[in-house]
Amino acid sequence: MDKNRQGAKASYVAFFVFVALWILAPSFVRMGTREAFVEFQAPALHLVAKGRDLARFWELKSKSSEELAAASRDLARINAALELKVRTLEDIRQENIRLRELARYTAPREFLTIVARVASRDSSSWWHRIILRKGRSDGIRPGCPVVFSDRVIGKVSLVHLNTCEVDLVTSPNFRCTAYLEGDEQGRIVLVSGLPANSLGTARAKIAVIPTDYVAPAGQSAKVVTTGMGGVFPAGLTIGTLDSNIRTTQEGNFKEGTLQPSRNLFSLQEVSVLVPIHPAAGEILLEKRYEDFQ
Amino acid sequence: MSWSWLIILLATYPWLFAADLLSDWTAHWGFNVFISGAAIVVPCSRLRRWQAVLFSGCVGFLFEARRPIPDGTLALALIAIAIFLTSNKPLLRNAPRLLRASLIVNFTATTIWFCATAFTLGQLSFNPLGAFLPQLLLQLITSALVSLILFWPLSLIQNSAMDYMNTPPANETP
Repeated sequence: MDKNRQGAKASYVAFFVFVALWILAPSFVRMGTREAFVEFQAPALHLVAKGRDLARFWELKSKSSEELAAASRDLARINAALELKVRTLEDIRQENIRLRELARYTAPREFLTIVARVASRDSSSWWHRIILRKGRSDGIRPGCPVVFSDRVIGKVSLVHLNTCEVDLVTSPNFRCTAYLEGDEQGRIVLVSGLPANSLGTARAKIAVIPTDYVAPAGQSAKVVTTGMGGVFPAGLTIGTLDSNIRTTQEGNFKEGTLQPSRNLFSLQEVSVLVPIHPAAGEILLEKRYEDFQ
Repeated sequence: MSWSWLIILLATYPWLFAADLLSDWTAHWGFNVFISGAAIVVPCSRLRRWQAVLFSGCVGFLFEARRPIPDGTLALALIAIAIFLTSNKPLLRNAPRLLRASLIVNFTATTIWFCATAFTLGQLSFNPLGAFLPQLLLQLITSALVSLILFWPLSLIQNSAMDYMNTPPANETP
């Protein structure tokens, strides 16, 4: 028994020494440990996500030929309409380039789109995340915006070899600037995720709304990205502003709640917009990553 | 057998992963299915102290690897609990005590990671009318339920793995 007690004492001492070493250890040690455990779990995550895709494939394969014919007819119609739209947009793009050259206007950031399947979703009061089945080996970098169609889903927070973690719009770590629909002066508001109430819907906060702002009557005001800050391209929809806008305690601004543009936890596939030319901040992040590797 | 902790970890991992898949399903409601605390109790009753420490550390790191929990918080907490449990094996000498220990450990571990994350976000507050305490309570209830439901099947697998490796059984009497 005494031997056991002595062993326990020694273990506690060793534990406190280890805790001290852990706290004092350089950040690459902690990052390396985290990365090792993420990579250990990655194959299982891929396997389950691929199994899900396979199940979906067989589910679709079991559909009758009539159903498939109807779906293909609908798709053909949509394709035709989209082709027309693409041609119109191409004309506008050419004109835009010409005008930019004339005005010597700095070109906005260009993005490469990487489509990625959602491997897993994870949520608690303090985080709302999805894990994508594409990572560093596919060219994804930390800080890249994640969208679905023209809607903002979130921002890549961590990138691993074959997976990456995305902080959703409603996650407390998410921040971005936005414009409100109906504000003709184009004043900037701040969108930030909120800790969610379990059993409730995850939402984000819209702060710094001008006191004289009036939302369009009879509809929810759209919240769109400004394109400033170098993360999100301009004009993407983040969500809509709830009708209950309240004045802050100081009385100098209003604040409201953002309703995300779609159910963020039901997404199966998203697009990651990777800037073709990395920003200065991203270069620093990459350098830090290389140092740690 | 010096590698038994690793083999038990591999036998336990599918359960931890299943809990992650359940978390995927409960993501709409903002709950996390947490079972890592309960998963260390049975190995602590049979493994040697250093083996239990390695096992618990890995279980903790596996949970916090993909979540924004401060590095090492849960792993170190589980290591401390493992040292305590292996030093007080009479506390784990029969089935009801094991179940009680699994509930307490899961409860404690949940509280630690929940508070640590809230602290890093500046949301830690003990105001009974605020958002923090009700959220913590809901997460604790979920953890307790998960522990109650999954503890027996998990302990069955872990015990079978340890029997297979001829790990000496836990003493029924102190």
